[in-house]
Amino acid sequence: MTNRKLLGAAVSLCCFMMMAATPASADLLDDIMKAKKIRISTDLAIPPSGMMDASMKPTGSDVEVAQLLAKDWGLELEFVQTTGATRIPNVLTGKADIIISTLSVTPERAKVIDFTNRYATLQSDIGCMKSSSVKGWPDVKDKSIGVSRGTTQDTTLSNMKDKDLKIARFDDDATMVTAAVSGQVDCVGSSATIINQIGVKNPARVFESRIPLATFDLAIGLKKGEPRLMDKLNAWIAENIKNGKLNAIYKKFHGVELPLDMRG
Amino acid sequence: MGIQLDFPAVLERWPSFLGGAALTLELAALATMFGALLGTLAAVGRGTHNALIAGACKVYVETIRNTPLLVQIFLVYFGLASLGLKFSAFTVAVAALTINVGAYTAEIMRAGFEAIPRGQIEAAEGLALSRVQIYWHIILLPAVERVYPALTSQFVLLMLASSVCSQISAEELTAIANYIQSDTYRAFETYIIVAVLYVILSLVMRAGFWGLGLVLFPRRRRLGTPL
Repeated sequence: MTNRKLLGAAVSLCCFMMMAATPASADLLDDIMKAKKIRISTDLAIPPSGMMDASMKPTGSDVEVAQLLAKDWGLELEFVQTTGATRIPNVLTGKADIIISTLSVTPERAKVIDFTNRYATLQSDIGCMKSSSVKGWPDVKDKSIGVSRGTTQDTTLSNMKDKDLKIARFDDDATMVTAAVSGQVDCVGSSATIINQIGVKNPARVFESRIPLATFDLAIGLKKGEPRLMDKLNAWIAENIKNGKLNAIYKKFHGVELPLDMRG
Repeated sequence: MGIQLDFPAVLERWPSFLGGAALTLELAALATMFGALLGTLAAVGRGTHNALIAGACKVYVETIRNTPLLVQIFLVYFGLASLGLKFSAFTVAVAALTINVGAYTAEIMRAGFEAIPRGQIEAAEGLALSRVQIYWHIILLPAVERVYPALTSQFVLLMLASSVCSQISAEELTAIANYIQSDTYRAFETYIIVAVLYVILSLVMRAGFWGLGLVLFPRRRRLGTPL
């Protein structure tokens, strides 16, 4: 390679790096509207919120919420597949624009991302075998409890150090459910929806909610400092709570309705 | 969009990182030990004249070498539980890694066995060595010495591959990293630290194998030449 060619290559490399380093625009909403495409981070391995149907197309309550949003805003929708633990990094690193993926509102998360108003809720419990005698915390002492790593259930249970719990952390809900179905764990800390699903998968091991953990508000997550996108999302959520669409989607997949004030 | 790295926020979790690294090393050490034994037996079995044993060893080696490690781990973890056998995630991880590395070891050892010149064995028979002596001194040790570099790199690969054990709730280094990054949201910093830790673990293992080689192969130590 001649010196001139080398110089040319170095200059173009520098230009490329500068391009990569300069922000495309200061406002995420403008970027989304200009691209005519919204990239939504959704976990597609947590039925019934996100899953694949028989023809391997995404479906589920979060998927339908995302589809409704994209349709209402006239945008193309791109799902950025994720796990529970990588949802937030996806929007922090700009791989996705927003998170619609059973994301519960917690103070720890609010330090790194912004939340919209709630679009759904999630009841999380300790679920055990129907035949087991678990009634309260003392009964789960010698039982293994499966959770999805990095979820609010994991954090809640991990912080109960005085209870001396045996927590088994799995990388996603699908693996945790399989662990419960196959008998590798005795109990699970998860949403009421998922606890009920275990029995559907293996009628020999029907799980039911035994100890309530918490009720979480589910919200759309986005990068901090995007007030215009936030306002538009909140207006959209308010509208679709009022017309009952969000409740209808939730009921279709979870079998239960949202709290009274969210039913439209 | 500038990247701001905040290592102190993640590094304050160093006891967790250290615990994860220790468990990874423990997993690798146990699987290496059992895997070396299993693999050698499988390689010997594949070379026997008993068609049943040779066939079984071949099926084992080919099945394992042609399926992903993660699938094998899930098979052992969920398969055993479905049969009513419940073991801890750590036990299952060691078992699955052993089965996996055993197959690769068998192939490497087989190469070593086949590299032994027939004349060497005939000479030993001519010197009236017993069958056990021949197997140990004339076949096994020279074979291991020949394939030792390939074996050690396979075992280091095994240590790195043990990261998928996080899937079945074994709290090794990658599992710890997944947890810390989901708690601190400092993914970049966490995985940089973990990558550095894996490099250190690899170096520790390589140093260990180098020392072991000095003890195992006195001829090489004295002469400094490969066979």
